[in-house]
Formats: sequence, structure tokens, C-alpha cells
Amino acid sequence: MHTVPLWTLTKGQRAAIRGFTDALPDSYRQRLTEMGFHAGEVVTCLLRPAFGAPRVYRVSNTVYSLDEDVAAHVMMQPLEAGA
Amino acid sequence: MNRRGMLVGSPNCGKTLLFNRLTGLKQKVANFPGITIELAHGPMPAIPGVTLTDYPGSYSLRALSADETVAVEQFHAGLASPEVSHVVCVIDVTRMEKSLYLTLQVIRHARRKGKHVIVVANMMDVLDAHKVVLDLDGLARELDAPVIPLSARTGRGMPELLDRLREDPPRQVPEPAPQIEINPELLIQQQAHRLAGKYGPRGDMLVRSQNRMDAFFLHSWFGGLAFFAIMYLLFQSIFTGAAPAMDAVGGGLGAIAAWLVPLMGPGLAADFTSDAIFSGVGAFLVFVPQIFVLTLIVGLLEDSGYMARAALICHRPLRFFGLTGKSFIPMLSGVACAIPGVYAARAIDSPRRRRLTYMAIPLMPCSARLPVYALLIAAFIPQTTAMAGLVGMQGLAMFALYFFGLLFGLLVAGLASRRDVAADADVPFILEMPAYRMPALGPLIQKSAHRCMHFVTKAGGVILSVTVVVWILGYFPNGGTDLGSSWLATIGRVIEPVFAPLGLDWRYGVAILTSFLAREVFVGTLGTIFGIQFAEQNMVPLVERIHSSGMELASGAALLVFFSVALMCVSTMAILARESGSWKLPAKMFAAYGAAGYVGAIIVYQLLSML
Repeated sequence: MHTVPLWTLTKGQRAAIRGFTDALPDSYRQRLTEMGFHAGEVVTCLLRPAFGAPRVYRVSNTVYSLDEDVAAHVMMQPLEAGA
Repeated sequence: MNRRGMLVGSPNCGKTLLFNRLTGLKQKVANFPGITIELAHGPMPAIPGVTLTDYPGSYSLRALSADETVAVEQFHAGLASPEVSHVVCVIDVTRMEKSLYLTLQVIRHARRKGKHVIVVANMMDVLDAHKVVLDLDGLARELDAPVIPLSARTGRGMPELLDRLREDPPRQVPEPAPQIEINPELLIQQQAHRLAGKYGPRGDMLVRSQNRMDAFFLHSWFGGLAFFAIMYLLFQSIFTGAAPAMDAVGGGLGAIAAWLVPLMGPGLAADFTSDAIFSGVGAFLVFVPQIFVLTLIVGLLEDSGYMARAALICHRPLRFFGLTGKSFIPMLSGVACAIPGVYAARAIDSPRRRRLTYMAIPLMPCSARLPVYALLIAAFIPQTTAMAGLVGMQGLAMFALYFFGLLFGLLVAGLASRRDVAADADVPFILEMPAYRMPALGPLIQKSAHRCMHFVTKAGGVILSVTVVVWILGYFPNGGTDLGSSWLATIGRVIEPVFAPLGLDWRYGVAILTSFLAREVFVGTLGTIFGIQFAEQNMVPLVERIHSSGMELASGAALLVFFSVALMCVSTMAILARESGSWKLPAKMFAAYGAAGYVGAIIVYQLLSML
């Protein structure tokens, strides 16, 4: 299964969450799952602001902004367009 | 027995607006030292004898930070109270999954205490606008709790909620906790996901307009321009918007003093009332309008949804210094006055980054430093210009001082963040981007008024005490006729060796001592010592006296460094102690910044003296 970090998704790209890296602290993992970032959930990258600013993602009907410190540890399986 | 209701919900679910509707803004807010959570209590006019408590918005009952731990403890204490008859759990129907996770946890804990749960499905006006219909009866059956469709904004559903709250339900038998529970949090998470998928709105219809606005406000160029425009307006409001009210407070206090003091006749009581009460305490009361304006505008930015975008834009550069995007507004406010800046830092959910922001704020070039900078620049920097008159040397010096303060504040935060090893206990930077909404002005005005009252009541005692001590030292033993022979001057002469390495005599030492009340007092004290009245308004005679006193450029530059770095404001320290939970942090900052300012000043003096 080909997985990539959430941080690398391009604008408009959709991907399904496959898990978290071991380097992500448990507390961060807990907060992410409470917010809806759990295995199988589809995430859409809405915006990639310039200068390395946190990126904007849609999960269910909620929009979140994640910093690289967190988004680099959420592993995603990219979905084909229309999937 | 009076009954009490608990109001809970996830962040940005519209809970506080509902609370304001139910209590009619007649509420008392309980603060907890050292943390930023607030519990608001208020009677419900529609249901006499019933009060409602608003708990902080939370994504779950599993706490990550110290703030969240206190919030969760308060929630469980509320559930255990026999007075509590209802728990009202607010969900945002447009973003159901994040709300349902907390709701399921609340229902589970409430049942174990025999409490009734009412689920309020808020934001129905948004669904109505998009003609989205949900099966809330089905959701109620699955939750085994009533679900009331409601819009806190329009008032739809309020009568139904009040009818439910009027009922005094028979006490339920608490459900026993199961003997064995295998990963209950995972089960709740799965159930929240299933229920949101089954009963929540589908598609991206509800976030499309938000995405369009984000495409502008977070655009690399337009977003940056909008950000600077909004921050410019904020800064202007703090300085110029609050100025008439600050003048009115100052003028009002002056008028009362002018009427009252002569009635008391000459003597100790009149001098004390005039100098210690009206001049001393009045000097901090003039900041109240600034705190009001800042709190109001920050509230408008938060409620409109823009604050989350501003935090995102600033996050990257501030992260380099261990701060967060949410540190920007408090630091910007600190350029006007550190006190509203410290209050604005409440918006930072990470306790660690909030502490770092507290450390940076007093180093921002606040408006109280301005008179000191203006005096010393006028005394030692020539009024010459360069580049065909485009660059004035005095203006350049002022810019350099402001830039130095900002940079030094960031560097201190950056260094402290690298020494702080408790990063794992921090909360991650995951920012929910709330929908853009029109703010409700009434509750914001009420909140701003409450913040002002908090400032006056909590900092006032400390400020009054220190003011009285300094006044007594300056007044006795000669009845205030000659500051030069007062106890304060005696102390100044005793500590003169401390200021000698800066090339300063006892007169400047006394002025520095009195400036610990507020930095701008430095100018007035020097004026008093040199026998110049109204030195704050007209600095020219004072500049001449400074020159004739033999003070040199090296000493002036050393003083500028000292005033840029040292934490010399009693009001700021009192508020820092209140907001951080103890005097430990402000005491450490006082010692460290004082030492850094002093050593820096000596170095600058010695270097310039060698030239």
C-alpha cells in the first residue's frame, strides 16, 4: 500500500488516513482522532498557503489547519480523482 | 432547593451565544489562577430559581493540557453536585462528528451520576439556508436523549429548550459503570463516526462559501495585504480609538481631584489624595479604555472567524521563536501596552506557548516607554537628516529602539523555548477553521466590560500598595517640599554606586526608582528634581537641564538600553502574576530582565565612553 504524509498532499488532492507514525506523541494522536482524523477517513487538502504556513484540510464537514509538525506524521493513501 | 443546569459543547459550536440568550447577559465569570478557562454562571430569567453554568468548549473529556485538566475536573465536580438537574450538550449540526464525540462522552458520564442530558442541535439556521433536512428524531432515538433543533443566532427552538429546562425531572438512578470495558474511547469514536455518517449533513455544500473566503484571506498575496490592513486598523484602534476615552478618564479624574483636594485644605491628607490616589492610581485607570477597545476588537476577530486565519498566517515565522501564530495579537497589543497584551494571550490554548508569549510581551516597545525614549533622543540625537531629508536621525533612533524591543522579545522567547523540555505536554497546532460569521456585539461588549473590571479589581490592590509606599518615601520627612531631601532621595544616594557604572548620579537613580510605578514617571520625576513643572508636556527645558547636569551621550544610550529591556511596570507584573497563577514568573522576569538591562547598559556605556 502506497502511503504519503498528509503534509505532501497537493491542493485539491484527496486521500484516506491509514495511520500515524510512531514519532507522533500519543497526546497529539489522541487530539487528532477526537477531531475526526481516524483510519479510513477521507481528507481533502483545501489550501497550501505560501512560505511553509500551516495547510488547510477538510475532514468530514470540518476544516482544520495543521502545522508540518503534525501533518508530517499522518500517513495517507492517495485516492484517484472521483474515488 | 435551587436547581442548576450545565452547558457543555465543543469549541465553535455556538454555546456561548446560547448561554447569553438563556441568561440575558446577567452572568458572573469565575476565573482560575494561572489558566485561561472561565466558568460563567447566570440565572435564567425565563425560569426563576434555575441557574446555568457555561463550561469551556472542549473536544473531549480527556485532557491534554493543564487548562483542559481544570476544565474537565470542573465538569465532573458539576455532575457530582446534587443541585444539577440537567446537562445541556450543544452540538454544531453542520460539523456533527467533532461534536458527537464529546456528546457521547458527556451522556455516558451524566448517566452514571443520574443526570438528564438534553442535546441541542445548534446552527439550524445554516441548514435551513441550504435547505438541508436532517433526521434528528432518529439521532435522538440512538442517543436515547432528546435532541432539540435550535438556532442560538435567530432564537429558533428556544421555547422548546426552555420547556425542557422547566421540567424538574425525577432523579434517575445512576447507571453503574460496567465491570469490564475494553477500550471505551475507541467505541465512542466509532459510534460518533457512525452517527455523523448516518445523521449528519452530506457533501461539501456547507463549507463551499467558507472555502471561497479562505481562498482570499489565506491567499499568498491578497491574504497578506488583508492581514496587514486588519492589523493596522487594530493597532490604530488601540492607540487612537481609545485615546478620547483615555483622555476623558484622565480629565475626569483630574476634575474630581481639582474639586476634592482644595476642600480638604493643605496638608498630608490633601497631598496624599492628590499625588498618591489621583496621580498614582489614576495613571493605571487611564489604561482601562485601551483594554476595553482591544478586548472588543479581538472578540470581533474571534467571533467573525478571522482570528484563526490570522493565527495561521503568523504561525510559521513565530514558530521559529518557539511561539505560535496566536502569539501575534498579544505581542502586537503589547506595543501599545503590555497589560491588554497579557490579557489577549488568553486566546493561546497551549500553556507552554502562552508562557513564552508572556515572556516576550513586556519587551515589546510599549507606549509607556515612548516619553522616556522621546526625552533621551531629544537630549542626545541631533535633529539632522540624511538622504535628502528623507531620513531623520531622531526618527531613525526611535525606529531602532522599537525594532530592538521586538527582536529582543522574540529572541528571549526563542531561547526560553529551547530550554523548555516539557514540549510533550503541549497541545498540537491543530486549528479548527470556524465558519465566517457576523459577530454578536452585545455579548462582546459585556465580555470587554468584565475584562476591564477584572483589571481594576485584581491589579488595583497591588498598584495602590506600591504607589503608597513610593509616595511615602518621596513625601517624608519634609512634607513633600523637597524631593531631594526625602527618604527616596536618601535611598537614591545609597544606591548611587549602582548607577555610577552608567555615568548616572543619584538624581537619575531616584527617577529610575520611581519609574518602577510606570516607566513614564521617569520624565515627571526628573522634572520635579530639576524644578521643571509639566515636564511631560514640554520637554525642552528638561533637555537643557539634562545637558547642564553633565550627562553624556554614553549615559543616555545606556539608559535607553536599560529602559528597553528592564521589566519596570508594577501593573504588568500584577497582571502577569494573576494570569500565570503565581508571582514566580513575573519575579523571575523582573530579576532576569533587570539584570540583562543593567549589564547591557554598562556595556553600552563603557563602549561609547571609549570612543
